[in-house]
Amino acid sequence: MKKGLVLGLIFSLVLIMAACGGTPTSSPPESNNGSDSEAPSETPSTEDSQEAKVVNIGYSGPLSGPAAFYGKRTLSGTEMAVEEINNSGGFEVNGQTYTINLVSLDDKYLPNETGANAKRLVQEHQTPVIFTPHSGGVFAMQVFNEQDNFLIMAYTSEPKITESGNSLTVRIPPRYDGYMEPFSSYVMERFGNKLAALPTATQYGKDWTETLLPYWEEKGGEVVYESSIDFTKDTDFFTIITNALNENPDVLFIGGPSEPTAKVAKQARELGFEGGFIIMDQAKLDEMKRVTGTYKTFEGAVGVMPLIHADYPGTDAFVEKYEAKYGEKPGSEAGLNYIATYILVEAMKAAGTVDDPEAIRAHMQDGLDNLPEDKQVYVIPSIGEDGGFEADLSVAAVENGEIVSIKVE
Amino acid sequence: MEVLGQQLFNGLTIGSIYSLVALGLTLVYGILHIPNFAHGALYMMGGYITFTMMTVVGVHYWLAIFVSVVVVGLLGVLMERIVFHPLRDAPPIHDKIAAIGVLLFLEALAQWIWGADYQSLPTPYGQVVNLFGLTVTLQRVLIVVAAVLAMILLNLFLKKTFTGASIIAMSQNREGAHLVGINTNKVAMLTFMISGGLAAIAASLSAPINLVFPGMGHLVILKAFVIIILGGMGSIPGAILGGYILGFSESLGATYLSNDYKDIIAFVLLVIILTVKPTGLFARGGH
Repeated sequence: MKKGLVLGLIFSLVLIMAACGGTPTSSPPESNNGSDSEAPSETPSTEDSQEAKVVNIGYSGPLSGPAAFYGKRTLSGTEMAVEEINNSGGFEVNGQTYTINLVSLDDKYLPNETGANAKRLVQEHQTPVIFTPHSGGVFAMQVFNEQDNFLIMAYTSEPKITESGNSLTVRIPPRYDGYMEPFSSYVMERFGNKLAALPTATQYGKDWTETLLPYWEEKGGEVVYESSIDFTKDTDFFTIITNALNENPDVLFIGGPSEPTAKVAKQARELGFEGGFIIMDQAKLDEMKRVTGTYKTFEGAVGVMPLIHADYPGTDAFVEKYEAKYGEKPGSEAGLNYIATYILVEAMKAAGTVDDPEAIRAHMQDGLDNLPEDKQVYVIPSIGEDGGFEADLSVAAVENGEIVSIKVE
Repeated sequence: MEVLGQQLFNGLTIGSIYSLVALGLTLVYGILHIPNFAHGALYMMGGYITFTMMTVVGVHYWLAIFVSVVVVGLLGVLMERIVFHPLRDAPPIHDKIAAIGVLLFLEALAQWIWGADYQSLPTPYGQVVNLFGLTVTLQRVLIVVAAVLAMILLNLFLKKTFTGASIIAMSQNREGAHLVGINTNKVAMLTFMISGGLAAIAASLSAPINLVFPGMGHLVILKAFVIIILGGMGSIPGAILGGYILGFSESLGATYLSNDYKDIIAFVLLVIILTVKPTGLFARGGH
């Protein structure tokens, strides 16, 4: 009887894990006849070329479950760009006007779901391009994207996705290994060389740790404690922080989603920690501040420059528009996906096609060059051979309760 | 030595939360005879309602908790009426499926109302205090004291009042209780009310040290299942003791063995206890 009960319990747990199916949410573009392209179409197959055609763009990311907030922030950047483009009458490629239909599918942060979604997007919606905001999903799609002929717009700073030599992958944010030098030298100089590592227990957190720790030791530092925090399982972080602080570190390496990361920093302060923090690029200082209400908690923290404190040509206008639409300040997830969408559209124009991923990828540099200045939420001068956008790193630290910019060579 | 003291306190904090959640789960087990999978969702709703009361309505922490207890308690009653009561004669698998349905529904509902973002629950008790050489925040002391208080009150209620006794009677034998004139409908609703209330207390107490988000129920619910199996399904002292055993094994295991394997330690403990006592620490019927 009891055995049956336990078995039933396990069965039901499996059910919980496997439950809930993704529903596609696709927003049809506003129909617009306001386009002024009267030029005859060069594609003979269509009869009325004045009508705007629709190009489907795919998105697969976590829209439900524990990472839903992250998926929504990345989606909202693309969504906003698409809406702006459609509202201004679409864009013109070879005399033909196109509007964009963004088809977004939920993958719950699971790489296998991303793979399935990508198949569905390509087969059902003929999307030439798919955006995805996590490295696991990118790896899953890279298995077949060259055969199935679609371009991956990857929002992840994982260097491996471009090192694999996939010819149809574009990495949007800067690769994270560039942060090792500026992050390490700042805190090492200011606080000392004993580091305790408490990052998030995800694959991304592990990869980051494996890059940072050897670098730290190479620079003459010492790693006194190494573990990880599983934000999906741990209610309280006091236990692990107590153990880490018992080794008297000068610096804590923390990271993961901004809000729980902020809680880790706050609890470390409560336990009497006075040193600095290295903050993994997934967490953003301005979002962390929303949890504690002040930057003072993070005194001596070094991390990526929050978008709202950056001063690129298009940043202020974007922050304002985004806040009006979504009621919160944007982070780099929204900002980078926003300009990536614009860059993609410019690349399509330069390539003269909306459905040939290879040509679009080949004209990505033109896309970067043609990006209007008022859309430059970030400045990205070039794309590398490997498909990664090459931008200057913008690093920030908290000094005397304020965000200051740190120069990176 | 200092670390041991600190970790014992940390274990006590987290154990108190686990116990409160497991108590609600074990009480409802007496009615449903299956673990209520939606209990984690009630916990999450408790966190959100306290959060909303504090930030939107702007009432004091304690008042917010009170409202949350009432609302989530009523939500529990509603759940019993709409979902589980019509299924009382159905095979147990129907209850299980229904419970999972409620869980998914409530999570989606929370995401729809409050969004998927993490929310931070403010607390008036954020001060750091030094307690016998240990660093603790007032909130943590509060968690321990309030949890123990809630357990004592619950115990008094179940042991000393007629209504409480009828809850125990019904969990022991539903038909028997019915025969001696206990209104089983009323008792079932009351049990769900208490269970929801306990989940709301646990969530409101623990949310200030973590965050409020739609998936927060998952942090505790799996562990609460472990606890009620460990303590004996349906046993109240088992749920309390099991909660503290798990809390201490996590904090001490992370300190003296390995943080990366602290969940394994807890589950190995479960295997050992079930090998020695297959029905759990407290066999059923021995309330």
